[in-house]
Amino acid sequence: MKPDIDTILNLSAAEIMSTLAPVLPTGYAQGTASIISMLMMFSAQEHERGADIRHTENQNMRVLFAKLAADVSDAGLRTKIEIAAKTKDETFGISALNAANYELKRLLIALQIYFESENNESSQNARREIWKILKAGADARVLSIPASA
Amino acid sequence: MSDALSEKLGHYLAPKFDVDHVAITDLARIPGGASRETYRFRAAYTKDGTPITRALILRRDPPASLIDTDRTTEFRAYHAFFALGLPVPEPIALELSEAVLERPFFIMEEITDCQVGSILVPDPYGALRQSIGEQLFECLGRIAAADPDKIGLGDLEGARENCWRFEVDRWEREIIEDEREPQVIAHAAIRWLKKNPPPPPQKISVVHGDYRSGNFLYDSKGNIRAILDWEMAHLGDPLEDLAWALDPLWAHGNPAFPAGTIARDEAIARWQAASGLTVDAAAFAWWEMFASLKGLAIWISAAREYCDGRNTDPVNAFSGWYCQVFHNRLLAERLSALES
Repeated sequence: MKPDIDTILNLSAAEIMSTLAPVLPTGYAQGTASIISMLMMFSAQEHERGADIRHTENQNMRVLFAKLAADVSDAGLRTKIEIAAKTKDETFGISALNAANYELKRLLIALQIYFESENNESSQNARREIWKILKAGADARVLSIPASA
Repeated sequence: MSDALSEKLGHYLAPKFDVDHVAITDLARIPGGASRETYRFRAAYTKDGTPITRALILRRDPPASLIDTDRTTEFRAYHAFFALGLPVPEPIALELSEAVLERPFFIMEEITDCQVGSILVPDPYGALRQSIGEQLFECLGRIAAADPDKIGLGDLEGARENCWRFEVDRWEREIIEDEREPQVIAHAAIRWLKKNPPPPPQKISVVHGDYRSGNFLYDSKGNIRAILDWEMAHLGDPLEDLAWALDPLWAHGNPAFPAGTIARDEAIARWQAASGLTVDAAAFAWWEMFASLKGLAIWISAAREYCDGRNTDPVNAFSGWYCQVFHNRLLAERLSALES
């Protein structure tokens, strides 16, 4: 058995706070140690969920693009989102998932601007669908500050 | 490093205090945000036969600054509001030359025997929260009430006409320059703010720019002794400061009690009484949306500074991550609610 990454990060953060920070000079040094400790605890949270958040969001955007393509009269934009809708996350490394996420989000911005320029019911529904994805992604990324901080 | 800095500070301050020698002791860096390096120190000298020891603060530009803030603006704001009787430290000296301490800096009085409320703890002010909250929003009202021209700050950055647009454009530029990934929510917020401008301000005031929990010092009796961090001061709609102070990020987990102090309605009432202004609901809703966008822009810049290695203070990683996630979520909530 070996320790999991989040265990290492959380226990190391606790060690910094309980053992190392108290012997540092007060002020900047102690404050910085506290922030580093908190960043390690955030990293522990992200280690567990990071790939899942990105992959889920990427898939949600692809599904939405496929759903909305028929409502987009701009041929250039429609072609782009149709192509993007068919892409896949080939690997689950964070950097690869990020690269795909950023490409999809650039298209999402273009799609959002497109539907903001239209004032009918289907456009309003499309805007709601876009916000549903954005809100879900924002909710999923929330970081909790440990009570011990 | 500290010895060399102490020696240079002593040489610099001697002529400022009109003495031959100033001894610098107890120089230590303290937390003070990522946009300035902050040090406390003691300056001891003898004048007219009387030994004097002064507790002072050095605020020096870092190698790279989070937001390109102007230390001249910060120094002048301290000067103006100190003269007006607001609780701010007495400014001592401003040095723009890089020849003295490698980077521009200013020196001000240290307010001793005080503390700062950490934004990371749920109830930093405890039993003092009522008293602190009352003073906090009254002081902000007094800042809003001041006439920028009469206190010598009429030439600060900012626009007197369409100040809302000046501010949105400013922070949009920061986001475009510093975004490391497509900021879908930030750009949606910018488009909304531009499409739905607020009514004109009741007056143009000095806007502190970062007035919030964590940016003031208070003593053990609950007296606010110093309003700090004026580096983003500018001219604009005073509602900008009020919305920033009431932003949920600074509410210690309970937006009904902004800044971890008094109830939101009471905070607004205190501000209105002190400023002589009224809070228009529609205008304020716009400035609240703007406050979250401005926060997001600052955190995006923090992330950029950190990732590019220009300023690797961990506080930039914290702001660029935790605070960015916070304001992204808040804006997503507010903007998606408008579509419902």
